[in-house]
Amino acid sequence: MSLRSYRMLVAAVLVAEATLLTWNAWRFDWLRGYDASGNDLYARVVSADLRLPTVAETSVWHTPPLWFGLAGALRRMSDAAGWEPVQRPGQLLAAAAGLAVCVVAFLLARALWPERRGLHLLALVLTAASPALVRASAMYHPETLAAALAGGGLLVCVRGLRTGPTLATGAGAGALFGLAALTRAWALPVLAAAAVVMALDARGRGSWRPLLALAAVTAVLAGPWLVNEQLAHGSALAFNRPAPETSLVERRPASFYLGPRTLDVYRHPVTPAFRNELLPHLYADWWGDWALTWDTPPPPAPGQLLGQGVVTARVRQDALGLVPTLLALAGIVALGLLALARRSAALGLPPLAAIAVALAYVLFAVRYPSTDGDTIKATYLLVALPAAAVGAAFVVDAARPAGRASAIVVGVAVAAFVVAQLPFLVL
Amino acid sequence: MAPRPLTEARAARLGLLVAVVVVGAQLVVGAAWSLSHDDPTELDLTRRCFSREMALRVEGTTGDPVAAAARGGTLTTIVEGNLVTIAIVTSSGEAERLRAAYLALGGDVESRLEVRGRYVRLWRRPPSPSQRRTAAGCEY
Repeated sequence: MSLRSYRMLVAAVLVAEATLLTWNAWRFDWLRGYDASGNDLYARVVSADLRLPTVAETSVWHTPPLWFGLAGALRRMSDAAGWEPVQRPGQLLAAAAGLAVCVVAFLLARALWPERRGLHLLALVLTAASPALVRASAMYHPETLAAALAGGGLLVCVRGLRTGPTLATGAGAGALFGLAALTRAWALPVLAAAAVVMALDARGRGSWRPLLALAAVTAVLAGPWLVNEQLAHGSALAFNRPAPETSLVERRPASFYLGPRTLDVYRHPVTPAFRNELLPHLYADWWGDWALTWDTPPPPAPGQLLGQGVVTARVRQDALGLVPTLLALAGIVALGLLALARRSAALGLPPLAAIAVALAYVLFAVRYPSTDGDTIKATYLLVALPAAAVGAAFVVDAARPAGRASAIVVGVAVAAFVVAQLPFLVL
Repeated sequence: MAPRPLTEARAARLGLLVAVVVVGAQLVVGAAWSLSHDDPTELDLTRRCFSREMALRVEGTTGDPVAAAARGGTLTTIVEGNLVTIAIVTSSGEAERLRAAYLALGGDVESRLEVRGRYVRLWRRPPSPSQRRTAAGCEY
């Protein structure tokens, strides 16, 4: 691929994604996203009263304040300008952060394999066409900002690890991870993975200053929030409900781990089917819209049934998601193996970050069971998206036969994958 | 003999193998479950949801000819102290027929009646938002 075509394709994908995310944020009713009312109250309290909300005021008091501060400031500006709804700038902020996640995935692929342009493009397109990212980018919610900031921290670390981390690497990554941790706690497993890999690298090089800078800057930014949570609520990672007192093993039934109704993702992948069965529930929510909050009318009007087209669209999404899911899993395993074989910290960080996010998420879902399944949401895993997309792109690029013909086949398949998803992705 | 070096292509193939095994195992679990269990009706699913997930006691409906006429079946349960009779319909027209039949009873039925999707619910007292949410959590 020539440099000119490459640049044009990257620009085209980014412009298309920016248009899609802006359009969706404009059309999506901010109240349809989860925690919407609680988020709005938090944003108002932070920006107007310059304080954190109390437990009694909102159910999302446990979420760090950065996004709410930004969304609250935008809300006040909208209010002053008489722009309705005042939450829309917050949705546009989420859309901008969603676009930033795409850029991060692209740059991550480029940082790892600078010469493989097809791989960069594939990572970009797989990220941009992820339904969970597209849906979260329309919501009035901090998920995409956390994913963009944590992804940025990951990118700075990987770049530094390729050539030898400097003080600027540590400080830059620490700033991004610190801000990410001030947005959503889901950034913390990515930070932990980065710290482990940076420590291993530091031991090998005998230079600990980048790691110390990472730790110091992160602590300065996120420390006050975590200390406040510890002092005010008894845990730095406090959640909006107490964990049951039973042992972790007893908190979820076997069906949570086994997912016996997995095949229903290809029959009826919407609430409440296979609720609280971890893998099918997450899969249907990532590729489709398990909770029916996307393009459906709010709960069926009296006398109306859920249209068959609504279910069919989600079944199609779940069918389309099978191959990319396989590729993402394969990519995480392949990059991990390759990193071990080559003793490459840069290659090892993305899969380790994805695994850390997955483990932290499973622990959370087991720790806080809920009858309505509200602790199982695909968007909680968005911080792992850049690593998963880069892994999937790597597998395709490494496994395909060399030559122009196979590149064209991959290009056509990816284009078909995107086009098939458009009816679902565009509101 | 020296071990083969791990090339990128080999790493990708190994990754694919692991992914296929993991996803395949999950599909096998689903297929085994599917083969050993009959497809449940909406009534079965709703009953199971209330009893297993919401820990509510579910019984058959008695003394309600309107609900008894529902093609999808009927059940009764108590949500937060409020008894509710749930009829499951198979079409919008049937939902409207049941609604009309209930409204014809007169009194305060309108404030106690909910029609959502396949579900026609008649509460003993006007339901609270929390009671509505709990009942809606078991809609299929």
